[in-house]
Order: sequence, then C-alpha cells, then structure tokens
Amino acid sequence: MHNSGPPINGHPVSEFDLPVDEVTCQQFVELVTEYFGGVLPARTTSQIEEHLVMCDWCVTYVEQIHATIASLRELGDERPPEPPDAVLAALRARKAGGT
Amino acid sequence: MQPEPAVAPARTAPSEEQTLAALRAGDEGAFRDLFAHSYPMMKRVARTYVASDAVAEEVVQETWLAIVMGIDRFEGRSTLGTWMFSILTNQAKTHSGREKRALPFSCAAPSDTEEPVVHPDRFQKDDDAWPGHWATPPRPWQKPERRLLSLEARDHLKAALAKLPDRQRTIVGLRDVEGHSAEEVCDLLGLSQENQRVLLHRGRSRLRAVLEEYLDDGDV
Repeated sequence: MHNSGPPINGHPVSEFDLPVDEVTCQQFVELVTEYFGGVLPARTTSQIEEHLVMCDWCVTYVEQIHATIASLRELGDERPPEPPDAVLAALRARKAGGT
Repeated sequence: MQPEPAVAPARTAPSEEQTLAALRAGDEGAFRDLFAHSYPMMKRVARTYVASDAVAEEVVQETWLAIVMGIDRFEGRSTLGTWMFSILTNQAKTHSGREKRALPFSCAAPSDTEEPVVHPDRFQKDDDAWPGHWATPPRPWQKPERRLLSLEARDHLKAALAKLPDRQRTIVGLRDVEGHSAEEVCDLLGLSQENQRVLLHRGRSRLRAVLEEYLDDGDV
C-alpha cells in the first residue's frame, strides 16, 4: 500500500514508506528536514519517532541541526546599512511637497 | 511528531496601508523601519541575479529609489510587497544582463541534487552489525545553557554560508537567517514547497557538517 502525495527530495513518496520496521540513522539524516516539516507519511514519521527514542546519536544530530539554525538566526541580527542619500533626498522632497 | 525547529519569525512590519501612507507622505521614520526590515531579503534576492554583493547592494539602492519616486503610481492591483519585489527583479535583471544570466529557481543545478548529507563512511556497512547506523556518531557540541557558538565559530559559519551554492545560500538565508516562512519564500521565488525543502535541507546539512568539522577540530 503506497501513500500518495508530492515527491520528497525528488523521490516518490512511496520510497519513504520504509519496508522494514525501523529507520536507520543513515536514512534519518536524509529525512530530517521533511520530518520537521511534517510532510512524511504517517508510518515513516512514527518510525522516526521510535528511532529517536532509542538513538541518542541521532538526537545529538538533531540538536546540531537546531544549533546550526539558531546560529544562523543570530547572523540575521546584523544591522542593515543606512538608506542611500539619494533615496532619503527623494523621500524628503516628497514630504516637502515635491515630486 | 516534533514541530519544525524554532525559528524566530521575521521582524513585525506595519500594515500595508500604513506603509503605503507613510511612503506617500515621505515619513522618514516609517521608511527607515521598512528599509531595515526589507533590506536583507531584497539584497539576498538581488544577489541571486548578480555576481557580487556590491552589485546586489547597488540593485537594492536603485530599487528603493524607484519605489520612492514611483509610489504614487502603485494602484493596489497587487500587494505592495509584490509590487516592490517586481521592481527589484526588474532592476536586478537589468544588471544581470550585463553580467551572468540568472539561474531560474525552478531548474535543478548539479550542486542541489543527489549526494548524501552525511558521508556514507560515517555509517555501518551492510556486513557490519547494525547496517545504516552510526559508525562515527556525532559528538555533542556543548551544554545547552551555554551561548551557542563563539564569535569565531559564528564567523566561520558566516563564511560557510557565503560559500554555499547560490540557491542553497538564498534559501537558507531567507528561511534561517531572516526567518521568512516557507510559504513566503516559495511565493517570493516561484518555488514549489518541495524544491524549497530540498534546498533548505542540503544547505542546512552542509552548514551543520562545516560546523561539526570546525568544532571537532577545535575540540570546543
């Protein structure tokens, strides 16, 4: 029985209906973004959750992904530059009633 | 099911009506807020069309001039954001016509396609005791309550982000650096959700690997 739905990472969804009862670590690292995006078939999601209960190493991997994302977010706190003078001049002309 | 990893939302912006009124009135404070809020995204998108950060900054500046000068011509047939973005892409395409061609997001590039996000040698082989499970597992980076990364590690991450393939850099930048939602990014770039996820997955995974190598080498 195959799930329908859009392809994942270019693969048909049915490929993510894992034929065995467990997901491996090697499979999990390829699916982590889809897992957090909530787009995997229900059975695969359950298998991943069971795997994460038992595999501290994959939990560490998830923590590293989270840490990477959080660190990337900190990069976004950098201040943008000042608006260019020409734009400010146009804005001020507008306020003064110019074109 | 665990939720999507917490990503802080994009900074709150005023309503479209407020923004439009402010621009038309020449309200410098409101303009500065809008400029600061939009600049990172605009530069990141411009950069997908042109060959350098400097030219991308030039494109954004020209875009803003066109927006301020032309704001009275905005008729509301699209959202203000869509109108601003169309000016941005037109300006960028004018520049890119003098440089390299823009690669459409809908086409796959070799760097975006099939290779494992973690090297296969890190996992046990078929004739090992637990095929597919970690052979060389990841090591915890640090205690959760400590600051995430040192400033040096952040600089390393920033450099690694700049070196990602163009599409991955753009998606990771918009999603993880600037906090835009998947829907916003897909609308902005004309991407399917699937393509956006693939690019995000590959970019994030590559950056995790870079950080892992850096932190393991330093044994921080």
